[in-house]
Amino acid sequence: MASTLSVALTIIVQAAMISALYALIAIGFTLIFGVGGVLNLAHGATITMGAFSAYYAGQLGLGLPGAVLASVAVPAIFAGLLYLGMVKRLEEEPIMVMITTLVVSVVIEQAIVVFEGTTSRSIPQLIEGQFSLAGATFQNLLGVMFVVSWIIIGLLFLFVNYTKTGKGILAVSMSHKGASLVGIQSSRINLITWIIAGAFAGIAGLFLGSWLTADFAMGQAQLVLSFSIVVVGGIGSIRGSVVGAYLIGFLEIATTNLISSSLQGLAPLVVLVVVLLVKPEGLFGREFAE
Amino acid sequence: MTDNDTSRLRLLLGRLNPLGLPLRQKIGVFGLAFLIAMPLLVSLPVVGRFVVMILPASSWELGLYNLAAALFFGMFAMSWDAVSGYTGEISFGHGLFFAVGGYTSAMLNMGHGLSPWVSVLGGVLLAAVAGVMIGVPALRIEGPYLSLVTLVAPLILLQVFIYMSDIFGGEQGLGNPENLVGLGFVSNYFLALGLFLAVFVLLWALTRSNTGSILTAIREDENAVSAAGLSTAKFKIFAFVLSGAIGGLAGAAYVHTPVGSPTPSELMSVIINVEVIIAAVLGGMGTIVGAALGGLFVAMLPDYLNLVEFTVPVIGKSISEMSFFLFAIVTLFLLNIFPGGVLRWGIALGRRATGRDGGGKEGMAADGGQSPEDAGTNPVAQTMERYQEYYDNMFGGDDK
Repeated sequence: MASTLSVALTIIVQAAMISALYALIAIGFTLIFGVGGVLNLAHGATITMGAFSAYYAGQLGLGLPGAVLASVAVPAIFAGLLYLGMVKRLEEEPIMVMITTLVVSVVIEQAIVVFEGTTSRSIPQLIEGQFSLAGATFQNLLGVMFVVSWIIIGLLFLFVNYTKTGKGILAVSMSHKGASLVGIQSSRINLITWIIAGAFAGIAGLFLGSWLTADFAMGQAQLVLSFSIVVVGGIGSIRGSVVGAYLIGFLEIATTNLISSSLQGLAPLVVLVVVLLVKPEGLFGREFAE
Repeated sequence: MTDNDTSRLRLLLGRLNPLGLPLRQKIGVFGLAFLIAMPLLVSLPVVGRFVVMILPASSWELGLYNLAAALFFGMFAMSWDAVSGYTGEISFGHGLFFAVGGYTSAMLNMGHGLSPWVSVLGGVLLAAVAGVMIGVPALRIEGPYLSLVTLVAPLILLQVFIYMSDIFGGEQGLGNPENLVGLGFVSNYFLALGLFLAVFVLLWALTRSNTGSILTAIREDENAVSAAGLSTAKFKIFAFVLSGAIGGLAGAAYVHTPVGSPTPSELMSVIINVEVIIAAVLGGMGTIVGAALGGLFVAMLPDYLNLVEFTVPVIGKSISEMSFFLFAIVTLFLLNIFPGGVLRWGIALGRRATGRDGGGKEGMAADGGQSPEDAGTNPVAQTMERYQEYYDNMFGGDDK
């Protein structure tokens, strides 16, 4: 019989790794909202696109490096084009951005249904095997996911805080007018933000598809998850999103392990509603505006 | 006959005579007459064949079924428009109300043996309660945050349905509750049409009344409404309850027809929620008429595409296999071309064509007397302005 301590440890390790994935999923969404002030409802579909780019790269025999590259590049380019083609001219009309991106995500999902059908596809395994920690075994993939998530989130922090472009992103997120007064082109900054967000979504899709499988509707749950995480952490705050991801990740793993596995997906929703009703500004508010 | 007599006669007839109505209302009356006469027309020799040709199915029986389903969808879209189009609070999860209405009625009918005519009322009642549950938070949180709550609410309900699948049937739904009027093609069509017209008349009259003006005013400027001594809270909750009840009615009646059944995919899936918004926005937000037409269009376009027997050469897929994909692409284009809705554009075009665009000379305008071209007062622009305000507050309003 497993002791309570080892069960607790297993849950903690598992939750830490899942939460790292959640952070990857949510960060692109919060970036776009924080900087551009619009909700990108095609975020879930971008994640799906990342997973399917890796799948197609695998089908074409490009190998693992090709799959990784495709899963980052295709969604990033797509997000950039989406911004330039549709979002840019609607920027003053957030509601139309919401509706347009929603329809775009339907187009992507249905394109996958047309070309691939509704069955799920397995994408190239990034890494195989297992490792054991705290008396339990975990997939190596999840371990890699945890490490990669922290590395690229760390890089994002450095980029935003210490490079000229990154500071431009901060400036635009604080005030469009102020940014343009000091010569920052907000449309260029927004484009960069969308591309970064697309790349993050692609990486999230790669891990998600590699861990589970890829199907046309996989992005829907991720969009809701991003919503929940971003609202819990405070809309527009990167730090808040990471904290929100871990909060929701731990809560979800705890409920599915300790209560019932059919509760999968319910925890973020309940947390979201409670936070919205009690503290709508989220745990961290807007760090950019402080 | 003197001038006086003529004018009195015209005044009397003008209200009733369809020929005296503005062009767009003439078209509307003609359309309604066509919908009502449809089942009779199909049995006529030559006209019948023509009607079958324009129906969204290969036979008239299936055509009537598809049309009935489209009419129910039109009701969904109108119920969305009543709250989101008028108060400007966008609901991303109106499927919640359809599902509460449909499931309640189906469970009362199947589990407790109530007649469907009675159980539908139960569904309406509970959907109205759901309207209160969404409406009350709407007083505290607004704009994008409320949209988030409405987006998540049906998802939570779906999780509950899956968690307690022994009661709610999970993803599979509840099977087949008793039908209101049996399986008849014509009777079910008239049931759908009757409900559609009833909902349409109710919402049309209501949104053109003082209440409608107040709801529109809330969309324009909530502070001004409060300053006039009116409780915005009361009217917002009223709008949500009304919309919930009508959405519930449509959902409840829908599951008791052969065209619909109480399953999550038919009543509350993400696709349904999205389609309802697309329908109302495409048709024209805040007009009811636009939502009704948009609903019919959105529901029937895939049916029409299903009929096309054409295989796209390069990818080897037939049009009918891609109907929903094509629908989404068409929608994307229409949204980009007519951001204010097709109805407004059509009315403006019609006015220009008939040389009547002289600033609201017609008796009635679509939403309380504004001309469609006036961007500052169209509902989409106002809703956007509303959201912009929240964003400005959120991002430290130094941008203005």
